[in-house]
Amino acid sequence: MSGFGSVAKRLLHDARSYRLAKNDQRWPEWQVVVGVETHAQIKSRRKLFSHSLTSEYSAHILPNTNVSVFDAAFPGTLPKLNPVCVDLALRTALALQCRVQPQSSFDRKHYFYSDLPSGYQITQQYAPLAKDGVLYIRQPVGDWVPIRIKQIQLEQDTAKSTYAPKTRASHIDLNRAGTALMEIVTEADLRSPEEAASYVRTLQSLLRAIGSSDGNMEDGSLRCDINVSLNRFGMPTGSGTRCEIKNLNSVKFITAAINYEIRRQAALLTSSPEAQVEQETRGFDETTFETFRLRSKEDAPDYRYMPDPNLGILRLSDERVQHIRATLPELPWTARERLKDAYALSDRDVDVLLNIDNGRDVRYDGEDPGESSAIKYFDRIVKNAGDGNGKRRDPKLVANWVTHELLGQLASQNKTFRENTVSSAQLGELIDMVQSKVITGTAGKQLTRYMLSKPASDSVFQIAKELDLLALIPSTAPASTSSESDKDPLITLCEDAILALPSEVKAARSGNKGVLNKIIGVVIKQSRGRLDARRVREVVERMVSDESGPPS
Amino acid sequence: MGARLVSRRLAITTRRLNTAANQWRQAIAEKNPSINALVYTTPASDAISSAGPLSGVTVAIKDNIATLGSPTTCSSVMLEGFTSPFEATAVKLLREAGADIIGKANCDEFGMGSLNKYSNHGITINPYQPPSGKSEKRYPGGSSGGSAAAVAAGMCQVALGTDTGGSIRLPASYCGITGLKPSYGLVSRWGVVSYADSFDCVGVLASTVPDIRRVFGTISAYDTRDPTSAIPEVRERSLEALNVRLSRWDSERGSEKSLQGLRVGIPQEFFPAELSPFVVKLVRRVLKSLKDQGATLIPVSLPSTSYALSSYYVLASAEASSNLARYDGIQYGCHVRPPPGSDLTKISRNYALSRSKGFGPEVRKRILLGTYALTAGAFDNYFLQAQRIRQLVRNDFDRIFSMRNYYLTEGSSSTKTEESLGPQVDVLIHPSAIRTAPPIEAEDEKSSSGESSSLDSYVQDVLTVPASLAGIPALSVPVPSKLLLDVEGDGWPVGVSIVGQWGSDELVMKVGEAVQKIE
Repeated sequence: MSGFGSVAKRLLHDARSYRLAKNDQRWPEWQVVVGVETHAQIKSRRKLFSHSLTSEYSAHILPNTNVSVFDAAFPGTLPKLNPVCVDLALRTALALQCRVQPQSSFDRKHYFYSDLPSGYQITQQYAPLAKDGVLYIRQPVGDWVPIRIKQIQLEQDTAKSTYAPKTRASHIDLNRAGTALMEIVTEADLRSPEEAASYVRTLQSLLRAIGSSDGNMEDGSLRCDINVSLNRFGMPTGSGTRCEIKNLNSVKFITAAINYEIRRQAALLTSSPEAQVEQETRGFDETTFETFRLRSKEDAPDYRYMPDPNLGILRLSDERVQHIRATLPELPWTARERLKDAYALSDRDVDVLLNIDNGRDVRYDGEDPGESSAIKYFDRIVKNAGDGNGKRRDPKLVANWVTHELLGQLASQNKTFRENTVSSAQLGELIDMVQSKVITGTAGKQLTRYMLSKPASDSVFQIAKELDLLALIPSTAPASTSSESDKDPLITLCEDAILALPSEVKAARSGNKGVLNKIIGVVIKQSRGRLDARRVREVVERMVSDESGPPS
Repeated sequence: MGARLVSRRLAITTRRLNTAANQWRQAIAEKNPSINALVYTTPASDAISSAGPLSGVTVAIKDNIATLGSPTTCSSVMLEGFTSPFEATAVKLLREAGADIIGKANCDEFGMGSLNKYSNHGITINPYQPPSGKSEKRYPGGSSGGSAAAVAAGMCQVALGTDTGGSIRLPASYCGITGLKPSYGLVSRWGVVSYADSFDCVGVLASTVPDIRRVFGTISAYDTRDPTSAIPEVRERSLEALNVRLSRWDSERGSEKSLQGLRVGIPQEFFPAELSPFVVKLVRRVLKSLKDQGATLIPVSLPSTSYALSSYYVLASAEASSNLARYDGIQYGCHVRPPPGSDLTKISRNYALSRSKGFGPEVRKRILLGTYALTAGAFDNYFLQAQRIRQLVRNDFDRIFSMRNYYLTEGSSSTKTEESLGPQVDVLIHPSAIRTAPPIEAEDEKSSSGESSSLDSYVQDVLTVPASLAGIPALSVPVPSKLLLDVEGDGWPVGVSIVGQWGSDELVMKVGEAVQKIE
């Protein structure tokens, strides 16, 4: 990222011309120009201007229970800005490389609707929180392209209204009323349905990584409005009339809506030389995958924006912005670079870790996700080698244990990483025990499975000891101390096997190397996985090849 | 002192207090039916009056301030029977200080009006009795007309009002009592039903300045629930500056000249042509007396004043149209069911009937004005222009006052450079109103929904809105009745306003006391 960042930034001022017009075989005559407006619910415990809890925080609660007198617009109530929401929006602004405005302000957007108890929504129409950012998205062919972010503004969510056709009544749930939203607006820099989809996915993973929103489109915590216009190649980019498609709540619908809109506008424009697209607001039918007219430009409501007389100017000090910058969680692309650079992990391992993180639960109020983040989990195992002198565990080995053994065991128990009950300290200890041959690799896998089904905070050594899974020959035990009374159990088990399998030993002596594996297998089985297979092979080979045979 | 003795003394005190409280209630029972100042009276409490600095002080609360246990209707059909589930911070502070909340006071609907004429509770009658003995029905002024009339009629010792463009000072002037509109942001607006948030102030009406001071001292407190509440740091800094000024005044003061060192500005724009000649004469008498006591009178000019009224009505109406959007008749308040068969798919159909019935004529007028001022086509020419004028008005005041405005300079580094400016003053003095209380016309009395009022009624506010635009403290005190007799007037009270820099409420009250003591 950082490598091409400077180049891309230089090109940013003319991002549109940089985006060389490429004919799309699906609509070879047309250049598609798309802009996205995203409303992302901020993952805060409390609402933007009141002390009420946000509803997802207390999931499955009854309607109209998380409501303060302010949310219900009672006379005499006043807003009080929740600084946590501002901080989370600032995280987003900084992650999107926006210019944070030292002074921003709130405005009222007026319209009468039952989901808006006060008759206005508090938003940031005239002076948004942040401006002029950029998000790099990966094109289908693999190039990264900058998408300019026009602005980010804070605003209130509305109440939820559901229509009951039976009783012909609208039901209003104020639990959502006043929840904080970030409106993130792009310039019209996207050039295809796929780019729009890529933008939304990239934004989603960014918001999750920094903990400002859980970005769940299916729950409605991330909603998109899409602007689409077409112009013929050769005409200035964006010279077509745009239509806005409102309230799309899945990436699939976004792609479908843009596709439909391109074909609709193209058909209209080719129908006659005079034909023009009318500027309008359109909806999307999720069953037919078609867009439909909601209202024309003439019918557009006048929202009578007014500076909010209570909230005044939101002043953000340098210190506050710097603090947010300094504590900004790692961004997905930075994490990718770091995991590859610092640990030399394979693309596959990095992808696995990043994907787990993208699917994790986002904590409230931007709290540290701790070990619920697979990357943090991995980092801790590598870095906290436990001896306190900064010794690292082998990253590739750790990646192997995390992405193969741990995830494999989780998958076989039908669990996700969220349900992982093996702490980073435990898995680290387990890896060390395998490395130092305190337990065998086989026993390590058994232990992992056991610890996932029977969560405990005990040390892995303790658990292994209780399960009698400690290796039979600790590599640390010096050979000289062994006496007749505590003879190396490996030797004993090998001797026993050789005595018990005389014909196999005979065959092996006569050169049948394959039969050795059978003898070794018996030894391992007898040890219940507590012996290191390589050492067993050494001893068995030595004993078999020993002319004198086993002592009798 | 033995415990028994203490409790006996307490009992005596309590009985005396209760007797006192009953006297107020007695006055209500006798006078309110004809004056219509209070729209709700709390039941007399038999319990021992709570202790506290305001123990035994009876207070009436304007009906647009939320109180627990009694309706808060804003004199509107829209909120008929509405009882707030929470209490205004100012009222809560009064109760905690031991005050006896005696009832809710009549007012113009949602605080919009200058006469207390637009109320679903009916007009309030000015209780003043002119010395001539001539019986005449006059308006008490508005919008806190019930609060002023209740104090003037002796139904309560003190009343809380709200002042958006003069709503405390005008009725105080018309009823012959004292009314303080404090600095904006000193008294919490939590629980005060918004008319125009950037102007609305909770203030105090009483017969004397010391009564106002006691109550104001109780309710002037930082409140985290009001985002415009002045933060403690701003309060301290301005208080420090004020104390420096007051102590300098003390040291300059001669023994016999009690106002020595006080610089009083006379703003020429506040003596417009519409002013009644005898009002001018009375204010001159007051000024002369202050000068005799040592005050320095300095003619000053606030050139933006002539635009203040227009600016105020655009901004206040715009805010009103926004604030009153919540009264849609769905969650609380007046709801008119659309007639059967109405097309309910149009959102507006569900609201228009309730809002048309629930709001009175003056409120409807201001909502329409404000809605227009905020439409995309008019916003720049009206709202933004009015905001610019508001800033000019503020600049005028900041230039004239010797003290800094600590409330509005937050975040900016502007400091006052005293040398570069013209004459500077501690307070301004001007008439509170252009005239005495207007008489109630017979047709007005019959119905308060008459649309007779033209722009004339707005002109009454011309002298009060500048301080509202600037958010600075203004106190209206009655010209002492002795002076009234000397001048050929109509015998009704005349108020003078003392206006100071933000945070100099105490200075304004001190000068007010001096005016009240004029012999």
